[in-house]
Amino acid sequence: MSKLMVWIDKRLPVSNFVKNHLSQYYAPKNFNFFYYFGALAIFIFILQIVTGIFLTINYKPDAAQAFASVEYIMRDVEWGWLIRYMHSTGSSFFFIVIYLHMFRAMLYGSYKNPRELLWLFGMVIFVLLMAEAFMGYLLPWGQMSYWGAQVIISLFSAIPYVGESLALWIRGDYVISDATLNRFFAFHVIALPLLLFALIYLHLAALHTTGSNNPDGIEIKENKDENGIPRDGIPFHPYYTVKDIFGLSVFLIIFAFVIFFMPELGGFFLEKDNFVPADPLKTPEHIMPVWYFTPFYAILRAIPDKLGGVLAMGLAIFVLFFMPWIDRCTTKSIRYRSTTYKVLLTSFVISFFALGYIGMSAATPLLTWIGRFFTLVYFGFFVALYFTSVNEKTKDVPDRVTMHD
Amino acid sequence: MIRLFTGIVCIFISSLSFAASGSIPLKPVLIDLNNKGSLQRGAQIYVNNCLGCHTLKYQRYVKFIDHLSLSKEAIENNLIFTTDKNGQPTKIGSLILNSVNPDSAKEAFGVMPPDLTLIARSRGPEWLYTFLTSFYKDETRPLGVNNALYPNVSMPHVLSWMEGLKQPVNLEKDQYEYVVEGTMTDKEYKKSITDLVNFLAYVSEPAQLDRYRIGFWVILFLAIFSFIAFLLKIEYWKDVK
Repeated sequence: MSKLMVWIDKRLPVSNFVKNHLSQYYAPKNFNFFYYFGALAIFIFILQIVTGIFLTINYKPDAAQAFASVEYIMRDVEWGWLIRYMHSTGSSFFFIVIYLHMFRAMLYGSYKNPRELLWLFGMVIFVLLMAEAFMGYLLPWGQMSYWGAQVIISLFSAIPYVGESLALWIRGDYVISDATLNRFFAFHVIALPLLLFALIYLHLAALHTTGSNNPDGIEIKENKDENGIPRDGIPFHPYYTVKDIFGLSVFLIIFAFVIFFMPELGGFFLEKDNFVPADPLKTPEHIMPVWYFTPFYAILRAIPDKLGGVLAMGLAIFVLFFMPWIDRCTTKSIRYRSTTYKVLLTSFVISFFALGYIGMSAATPLLTWIGRFFTLVYFGFFVALYFTSVNEKTKDVPDRVTMHD
Repeated sequence: MIRLFTGIVCIFISSLSFAASGSIPLKPVLIDLNNKGSLQRGAQIYVNNCLGCHTLKYQRYVKFIDHLSLSKEAIENNLIFTTDKNGQPTKIGSLILNSVNPDSAKEAFGVMPPDLTLIARSRGPEWLYTFLTSFYKDETRPLGVNNALYPNVSMPHVLSWMEGLKQPVNLEKDQYEYVVEGTMTDKEYKKSITDLVNFLAYVSEPAQLDRYRIGFWVILFLAIFSFIAFLLKIEYWKDVK
């Protein structure tokens, strides 16, 4: 070791940290495709912070100037268009990655004992991320920014007694206005990112305490060799760093393709109406949230009562927090679980996609009824899981992990 | 090669986009931002016929030097007709504005003519092309014209001197006969509108000129990088049994 490292290590445990969390941090050797998304989520988080800093250099959080300042970034700032598209595409990809990351946990039971806290921290990150994305979407101050925020904030007014005052308190005005834009800017660029940073730290700390789960759902720490090293574990560095670099580069190809060739993604990532400046006097024909909120928006619209809809939407997210206790089966991985669980999870995924589609379509009576059906399927998943998982017939889990590639 | 690739992507994107439903089907228009002649003609039509009412307030004249392959002098002599607050000709670095007074515009048309910098992004090129080729004679309207795509629009048919004036021969408004001749044939008019829409598609997002070109190389680099990263992963993972 160099003299410099010795000097530093006496004062700051750098070498120890690298050992504990990289070169001698043992991860199961059988990670598959779904295990790329944690690292990718961290990558996008950093990307959003860095591109966000560059955007704030030229963005003006002022109702009279916000829209023009975004166009200024798109036209007159050197490489401003690239920074902005990285940020706007990044937000959509953040949700793609997070949804796959969460789905992975449901596939392999990663939220189960001893990783309940890890899951709870992750769920808080998910909720914060939704708030972060929602507030960021107001900043370009286009028609959809404005009316989307108007609709979502008005949901708070459905709460009995305090609702109206609460909505007023959030907006800082009777309608979405300059005051709202300013506070959303503050939340979007500093308050929520700070909280996210703290929660991601806790999420990783919890992960490195229990160690990662894996596609077989086997605790590798229960089978160690004479040196105390898990027999099915490999050092995170270099094995997973080099694997994640490959995963990241493939991800970047898809990411770059969207940025350079289809940044609007046919209106899914950047909506057409958002190229019209916000106009409080003109409601767009069809208001819809960005795609990543549409499953929950469909649940909101499925309930004919405003307060009921708001509660159902809230519950749809809230119920996910309780996954570790709803799923009472001790076998973790779907590989060794019953057909019942496979059918339940499949119908949950189908309902999520269907609700997503319904949430972005104009409401028709037929679609509303289909939306109600899938809302039942969505919640039915948790109810059925609670009752079927307690005495689930599972296959024998092997002692050692299996490799499939 | 890159051009061909760009073209394919352009067609792909335009097939993905669908504009808000109008009363008549949208007509296809071929957008080609590599056709500088078309963009230049479009800019000419715009400043001569549209800029009087519709600003391009997020775009600067100076961008036309690189993007439209025009010289500073050509822009100053042919595209800039306005003056600044000191009465001097507008500087080339300025935003593309006009001197419409919002109050008198509202008095004349009922609304302030909208800024058109981003119209090709919010409405789509097909919508613009269809709109500009769908004016017809209608004596019941204050200005004597109506639009089949955007019924009862407050905009007059500014380009009727080019197109002439047509009136529908059936109720579906898909066949017309000309009652006033313009300076152009039907084909020439459609070509001019294509140029104009092409120009507006460029103005709505000048970054298109760069992003297709750069994107090709970025993805090529990432593909090679991924391949090397893959080999590296294989090499390291040899000893994982």
